[in-house]
Amino acid sequence: MAKRPPITNRVRELREEHGQLSQAALGESIGVTRQTVIAIEQGRYSPSLESAFRIARLFGVGIEDVFGWDE
Amino acid sequence: MPFREKTAYIMTAILVAGAVFYFNKVISLSQAIGETAPPVLGFVIAYVILIVIVSIIAMSALGMATPREANAPADEREQRILDKAGHWSGYVLATGVFAGLLHYSVTLDGNLMFHILFGSLMASQIAEYVLQIMLYRRGV
Repeated sequence: MAKRPPITNRVRELREEHGQLSQAALGESIGVTRQTVIAIEQGRYSPSLESAFRIARLFGVGIEDVFGWDE
Repeated sequence: MPFREKTAYIMTAILVAGAVFYFNKVISLSQAIGETAPPVLGFVIAYVILIVIVSIIAMSALGMATPREANAPADEREQRILDKAGHWSGYVLATGVFAGLLHYSVTLDGNLMFHILFGSLMASQIAEYVLQIMLYRRGV
């Protein structure tokens, strides 16, 4: 198994808080596929800085409210 | 499953089948003549035509089944997967080429060198698709 990046995220939680926004809809909003959103939520992929900002802006929160560093 | 992962599975199957077809012919011919078969242009052309035609049919069918996904450009994660797989498959090709050249320098068997180099091309292409599948499954 590939080593997971030490980056945590609250994407699923925020998605559910925002009216059950689907993974496909989130992916379309930020310009990635649904599979990439799934990979981000499962911690298998760390998005680019640009996509991280897009996600944060979509949910109207700061980037550190979405992503964290797992010490 | 992402469109490009599906294409990677299909291309792996096609390329493996093509490689088996090609080397089966080469080995049969080598056994018949009692030495390494010389490069037969007919086999190489048959292999290339087989791969191209079957790939076009398979990709067209897959594209028609999921046209939206087929037309979408690779996103950032997919692009990283494609880049990494392409990078590592280059090592497979380089290793094969080096082995072929080394083998030729020792045995001076040009026929075998041809088959090793052609096999390396096939192996690196297969490796690229297999690596894509692994990276899609395990994370990049």
